[in-house]
Amino acid sequence: MTDTQPATTRALSQPVRFKRRNRFFSRVGSAAIVFITLVVLTVIFAPVVAPYNPDHADLMNVLAGPSPAHWLGTDSLGRDLLSRILYGGRTALVGPLLVVVISTTIGLILGLIAAWRGGWIDALLSRIFDFLFAFPALLLAILAIALFGKGLTGPVIAMTIAYIPFIARLARGLVVSEMSRPYVQAYSVLGFRSTWIAVRRVLPNIFPVVGAQATLYFGYVLADLASLSFIGLGVQAPQADWGGMINESRGSLQSGDFLPTLAPALVVILVVVAINIIGEELSERIGGDFS
Amino acid sequence: MTALLKIENLELRVPGRDPLLRGISFEVQKGEAVALVGESGSGKSLTTRAALGLYPDTAELRGAVRIGGIDTVSADKAQLRTIRRVQASMIFQDPRSGINPVRKIGDFLTETLVRWRGYSPADAAQLALTQLEQVGLPRAESLLGQYPHQLSGGMLQRVMIAGALLDEPEIMLCDEPTTALDVTTQASIIELLRVQQQARGMGMLFITHDLSLAASLCDRVIVLRQGQIVETGRTQEVFQNPREQYTRELLAATPKLEVSLQASPLENASQAASVSESVVKPDTESPAVRAVEISKQYEVRGRDDVHALANVSFSLKRGGSLGIVGESGSGKSTFARILVGLEQPTSGDLYIDGILRPKRSLRASERREFAAHTQMVFQDPYLSLDPRIPVGKAVADVVKLHRQVSNAEALAAATELFDRVGITAQQLAAKPRALSGGQRQRVALAKALAAQPTMLVLDEATSALDVSVQARVLELVEEIRDEFKLTIVFVSHDLAVVSRICDETLVMQNGQVVEHGETKQILGNPRAPYTRKLIDSRPVPLWAAAS
Repeated sequence: MTDTQPATTRALSQPVRFKRRNRFFSRVGSAAIVFITLVVLTVIFAPVVAPYNPDHADLMNVLAGPSPAHWLGTDSLGRDLLSRILYGGRTALVGPLLVVVISTTIGLILGLIAAWRGGWIDALLSRIFDFLFAFPALLLAILAIALFGKGLTGPVIAMTIAYIPFIARLARGLVVSEMSRPYVQAYSVLGFRSTWIAVRRVLPNIFPVVGAQATLYFGYVLADLASLSFIGLGVQAPQADWGGMINESRGSLQSGDFLPTLAPALVVILVVVAINIIGEELSERIGGDFS
Repeated sequence: MTALLKIENLELRVPGRDPLLRGISFEVQKGEAVALVGESGSGKSLTTRAALGLYPDTAELRGAVRIGGIDTVSADKAQLRTIRRVQASMIFQDPRSGINPVRKIGDFLTETLVRWRGYSPADAAQLALTQLEQVGLPRAESLLGQYPHQLSGGMLQRVMIAGALLDEPEIMLCDEPTTALDVTTQASIIELLRVQQQARGMGMLFITHDLSLAASLCDRVIVLRQGQIVETGRTQEVFQNPREQYTRELLAATPKLEVSLQASPLENASQAASVSESVVKPDTESPAVRAVEISKQYEVRGRDDVHALANVSFSLKRGGSLGIVGESGSGKSTFARILVGLEQPTSGDLYIDGILRPKRSLRASERREFAAHTQMVFQDPYLSLDPRIPVGKAVADVVKLHRQVSNAEALAAATELFDRVGITAQQLAAKPRALSGGQRQRVALAKALAAQPTMLVLDEATSALDVSVQARVLELVEEIRDEFKLTIVFVSHDLAVVSRICDETLVMQNGQVVEHGETKQILGNPRAPYTRKLIDSRPVPLWAAAS
């Protein structure tokens, strides 16, 4: 009967129970992934793709509208907008990537330690997370900038610190619920070392959920860093950056030239929305909505 | 007689799969109790839900399910509502998941009366009160103001039954209503259902995987397998003269208290003496387990401490087999967990092979050494295997941990173990989710054996399995016990399962040892009233009860 049936006949009698027949991502989700892939590729290959040097000012050609020579036109210094957006993506995307990777790594480790060790270590770490939660991220950023100076470093460090407690608290909760499951106790009874169980077995099992959440945070961080650049605390001119570009071209709005502001703003919005869609769908598919 | 429920040639399929139900036809008459028996996946729940028009969203249906003159296959929503309000009521397996936890029992019971029957809240409360008394709940008045979490599982199931009866249904559908309950509670719920069904002349369709339970309640039985009716007939006939091979297999697999094991009272007297002696007398070599006054308390904030174990003392000789039997909350699982080191006793000494277990958390090397002595198989095979790790690797990992060998040697050892427990080599690469419950429990056994233990603790290791699968896993446990000369501690709520595996039995209640002795003596001539009650709570066939 069912117990000794070979896997093949079992598969015939109840074939679709565990297989997902619908695609992993929805149509919208797939579109978001295609869009993000395109953005990342063009940004990586900016030197090949970009028609101009992003910092080359053509003062004869200031605030030109879209034309075959300049697809998106030029800004108030006559720099090619498309090229600046492509190059600006490098800082705009690398910043959040650093923040997400570092904060996820540290957050996972701290969350794992808190849950696994429990007791006073858990209490202490949890209180530190609470403190960081209560601390406004923007204030943290301004503090970091005061310490490290303007540029990418300060904001990235500040944002990393601000996002660690989010990941750590999520990871801690996941590990606690995972620890109560019999398979973890089974490992313990079998004589495996506690750290081995935690790092080699529990961590990989919770990683998909944390990874999905981290994808969502990528979008938030991108928007946060763009705002810091916009208020002049992030990446400094003349280096191209989406947030910085919006700031530089602010003045042109009054003269009726919308494109130099609108184009980078639209790119930021589209990228953040696309990342959020991917993150949401990952979270939904992998393990509930934690946001 | 009129058929309350008449199913004709019902076929149910969902796209991309074999039909889930094929050619199901039967009737339930007024005043008749019919059992629908089958293992998981046999379609017994699907069939019963069909009576209420509860079909899977994508189901393609053929045939007819007539209840009160309405065919649920073609009925519209309003007609289905009428059936559900007037004709039929259903009781589910787990009463706790079938009731809204934030509303009072009174709200639950009076809601339909007030909203659909037009009773005033006071009248509805009065009706609910009468009904609660009828299902044997004491202090019904105060119950109305209580929340579900304040009630035990058995009481809650009585509330659900009261709720179902309030609709004055013509037919009652029961979906394994006692599976989540203790044996003694099960016995009283079955009694209640029988009395109410007879008194009201209701029809009843009772789903169960337990043949003996069906025999204790139902006049007729329908045996289902893989969506088809295998055999149907009067319960006594099907039991005593099964026509089909599958029915015979099911009957053989159903755990029973072995009559041959039960000694006559005369023999017992002498045995009882020798038993109590052997339990007290220290073995020449130190016993595998010696528990001395083991207690375990849990602190619960704002309440009294919970005494999970109170002064548990016994010893078990090497190579012996001990069954620990008790109902939920008896402390049997807590003791198993202490035995394998998952928990520490609050007080008392535990000697394993004569060595006192240290009363601190163990170092990694100590834990490994200890693991090589005592292994455990957990209750739920769906949760006790790491979902991400292929089963072959899981076992090879254990081999590598305990014997410093290469990957290839570890995998070879794992393959050998799998062969021993009846898992084919092709399944080594499978993730746990691709295996059935029985196969997973075999994997769990292989994993435990990979540590080369001398003692194996099984915590309700077969209670999540179908009867036929359980029978074969128990067989395997017996073989392994003899082959590897294991000391076995088998924790179970089921006396019959324990009687099959274990020479000695220890009965626990409320954290205390009620009785300890040879299984023969415990079954044949129990000394403690509680043991007697446990034995008597096992379902008795209607024809045997009548005679």
